[in-house]
Amino acid sequence: MSWARLQSAFDAIVDAPEHRRDAMVRAASHGDADFERELRELLAADAVQLPLLDRSNAEWASALLADTPWPEGALPQFGPYRLVRLLGEGGMGVVYLGERVDVRRTVAVKLLRDAWLSPARRARFTTEQRALAQLDHPNIARLHDAGTLANGTPWFVMEYVEGLPLHRYCEANACTVPQRLQLFRAVCSAVQHAHDQAIIHRDLKPSNILVTADGTVKLLDFGIAKQIGEEHRDSERTQTGLRMMTPAYAAPEQVRGERVGVFTDVYALGVLLYELLAERLPLDLSSRTPGHADAMILDTEPEPVSRAARAQGADSVAAMRRSEWNDLDVLCMTAMHKDPTRRYRSIDALLRDVDHFVAGEPLDAHPDALSYRASRFVRRRWRESALAAALVLLSAGVGTTYTVRLGRARDAAVREAERRTRLQQFTLALFTGGDEAGPADSLRVVTLVDRGVQEARLLDGDAAGQADLYATLGSVYQKLGRFERADTMLQAALIAHTRAGSRDSLTRAAFLLTLGDLRIDQASYLGADSALTEASALVASRVSTRDDPAVLLQSRILGAVGRRQEEQGRYDSATVTLQQAVARYPASDPDPLVRASLLGELANVQFYAGHYAESDSLNRLVLAAQLARSGERHPAVAEVYINLGATEFERGRFVEAERWYRQAIDIDSAFYGGAHFRTAAHLSMLGRTLVSQERYDEATGVLQRALDIQQSTFGSAHPRVASVLNELGNVALKHRAFDSADAYFTRMAKVYGAANGDAHFTVAVALSNRATGYNDQKQYARAEAIYRDVVRRFTNAQGAEHMNTGIARIKLGRSLIRQQRWAAGAAESEAGYTIVARQAEPGVSFLQAARKDIAEALLALGRPTASAKWTKAWEDNAPSKP
Amino acid sequence: MTLSDQSDVLGTPASGPDSRAELDHLFSVTYEELRRLASSVRRSDPRASITPTALVNEAWLKLAGSPEVAHTSPTHFKRIAARAMRQVLIEAARRRQAGKRGADELHVTFDDAVNAAATDADGLLALDEALTRLAAQAPRQAQLVESRFFGGLSVPETATLLDVSESTVLREWRLARAWLARELAVDA
Repeated sequence: MSWARLQSAFDAIVDAPEHRRDAMVRAASHGDADFERELRELLAADAVQLPLLDRSNAEWASALLADTPWPEGALPQFGPYRLVRLLGEGGMGVVYLGERVDVRRTVAVKLLRDAWLSPARRARFTTEQRALAQLDHPNIARLHDAGTLANGTPWFVMEYVEGLPLHRYCEANACTVPQRLQLFRAVCSAVQHAHDQAIIHRDLKPSNILVTADGTVKLLDFGIAKQIGEEHRDSERTQTGLRMMTPAYAAPEQVRGERVGVFTDVYALGVLLYELLAERLPLDLSSRTPGHADAMILDTEPEPVSRAARAQGADSVAAMRRSEWNDLDVLCMTAMHKDPTRRYRSIDALLRDVDHFVAGEPLDAHPDALSYRASRFVRRRWRESALAAALVLLSAGVGTTYTVRLGRARDAAVREAERRTRLQQFTLALFTGGDEAGPADSLRVVTLVDRGVQEARLLDGDAAGQADLYATLGSVYQKLGRFERADTMLQAALIAHTRAGSRDSLTRAAFLLTLGDLRIDQASYLGADSALTEASALVASRVSTRDDPAVLLQSRILGAVGRRQEEQGRYDSATVTLQQAVARYPASDPDPLVRASLLGELANVQFYAGHYAESDSLNRLVLAAQLARSGERHPAVAEVYINLGATEFERGRFVEAERWYRQAIDIDSAFYGGAHFRTAAHLSMLGRTLVSQERYDEATGVLQRALDIQQSTFGSAHPRVASVLNELGNVALKHRAFDSADAYFTRMAKVYGAANGDAHFTVAVALSNRATGYNDQKQYARAEAIYRDVVRRFTNAQGAEHMNTGIARIKLGRSLIRQQRWAAGAAESEAGYTIVARQAEPGVSFLQAARKDIAEALLALGRPTASAKWTKAWEDNAPSKP
Repeated sequence: MTLSDQSDVLGTPASGPDSRAELDHLFSVTYEELRRLASSVRRSDPRASITPTALVNEAWLKLAGSPEVAHTSPTHFKRIAARAMRQVLIEAARRRQAGKRGADELHVTFDDAVNAAATDADGLLALDEALTRLAAQAPRQAQLVESRFFGGLSVPETATLLDVSESTVLREWRLARAWLARELAVDA
């Protein structure tokens, strides 16, 4: 029955005079009996009274909406829990003393009176509570059970804790500063435990932290704050109305309604520490309107805790020295920083500094430290550092500069090791939005990520959300260097995306781009190609000139293809592709970082292809973009300086290279303090330029500084330390300080052995360099002995055909020839030559050296013609005079 | 019940969240806000009368600045709020019924039964069911009723929402009302 037909008939007839209706009805019905009956009934019903619809809904609605609290006398029971008496009323709800009737256990029951969960959210509530119930820590009040009442009120049954709120406990017991810090430590370790399970408290404050009579700290209400809207937390209600008290512990991001994270709990703990030390809150919000209080949280800097304590006449003041107060100022301010990225990255980091303070050691937090966000420049740094690493390992040669085709000589294992360390650091930045952390935290990151995977699996009902989560996890695993897992995650993302029935091809293309990128990292180029081709096709169907997101994606995909070509050493193709990528990039400049990263990639390609001038000008473009974006004093700028320096270095312009490196180091030191490992890497590069200028003493000083930093950051058994030792050894060789050189190389071998295992090729490199020293001192027999060992090691570690094995054989040959054992020497040198010649450029110093040696040996063996051929080859390849 | 359970034509709003998930989330947020408002009014004055219209307006004022509502027009918001309000009221009515029948002792019942109100609860539930049936036949008209009745949208607001004239709104309301009246008479 057509409603429209009914409607127009009804309209026409309903107000018509009574006597005409009948006829009109019949006319409108056209003999349709069902229609006629329907029409008549409806016309009749028009006259019927419908109180519900017709009169005001105020009364009955009011009555229905009234949820009165239960009368005092009749406390409800739900499930196995019986409420005994009211313990208190807080901002969030009421707390009762309760009892579990079957097991006779005393519990605390909290009812969140104003957290009316919508039906959709009730379902999720149970899952979330189960996660919280897993929290098992001596300093966290155990959550036994949770649920919702029929009307949607959430309830929680928790371990019953008798104790005083933290600040009152400290007051009542006249706790000293060390005692307060110990209590604070217990709080921190409890919160960190929760963070390990990916649970953020969000509402840390003294009233949620009780201390029992025996001094045990107990944290309450984990995760409960998540159930209620932010504006209703910590509000006080009276009989006559609402009085809102803006939470004193709310972090700026909570006030702004933004994402919360680990850093939010860090903030709250900072405020807590402040309060413990100064005996007052950092900001006085008590008499402010909510709006004004919010503004204060966002903008007003609190007084340093030292001043506040003094003004307050707190007991803690007299107990400590000025320098100690300075440290506490830094501690509090770093934890309470308004910018989440500038706070301590994790509770553990905060704890470490508390421990430093208690032990009288200097803090990690730097008063001027600015934060650094992980950015897409990550990949550039690997490249540059891989380059540095490659140069370092191979530079212990026969004393002259040379060019090696890095594309082929690059060693995957070195790259991998470099990458792992850097990636772990950046992942932390990803998780906590903060600065880089030291290696020890990476385990925790992995736990968080693995937990994320579990959660993702639970999201089966929300396929689109699941896809996003998998994709994010994929990126994280990639940054952790766990490529196989990352690959699995991204493929899961694609499957979930398909299951969601989404026709959003751009999102799919973006996932595919990430997958392609990852596969390039894994050097599985066929897989990369298939992902990138599919991505490209998806975007091509969507793109139009005005569709900036699609065009940007296209540009990025081309960037990835270019990178793949670069990794395979196809520099010409890579150049063309990357130029296309840059050309495609939208004119509206939606994401300057992408553009800069494309230019940077192109700069790298040009560098590897040996086009230093082009590389230089591209890097200058990147520099301009980065300067415009961040100003001079930013680590990303330092990185571009490093790349510019590396280019100058390759062109043999050491003075210019030195200038760039020094500028980079300047920025590093301002940012990270003089003792940061990144500064150390750059110091190593500076050292190399000084060596090339024959300023050996200065080089040694610089490198020694780098060594100290690497040692204190990574410990004495770390590859980074070994690589600096290598540099120092080479410098020593250059100015003939053979004993030092020997000491350095011996230690280098030990360190690599400890870090990578004795069979690792890096140990062989160290020994080889040591042997070079003996060669230089003309102690050929000793050199020979070591070289034999080295050849054996390289053969086992990297294969008989590996470049390093070839080079070692050339060196072994030389040591034999110098002992006038012509035949044996020539044989080794020729064997080594064959291997190296296949992989390096003909003019390389090793090959030149081999040619010379072989010529000499053959001459001595009475084979002048053969010898002459080698001599000619040597002449042909001799570098032309500048 | 979420928005996506309803077999009703929400249409593409001129402004507002596009995806199902966003709509559901907005619905949840609105639902919770309405309940909070209702109970807070109650707490400050037990005898105050609360109209759904007033609540929806209050909720809009409260949520207007929040991220979930950022891209939503007041009218579109009120349509969603009307749906949420309906759910709040229906749930309350069901609890009344349950309390009256003495069901579910384990859970807390919140009110001292008021008989007149109980009758209203039954009536409301019947109306809700009838409205659901109407939605199967005339979705737009059902939406009109829901928006006006539960959401308190005025005639001009409803006209904007459905993109029709005000006289159309009034005419359609009249027929829908008649239809519902007939349904309810049959039930009784």
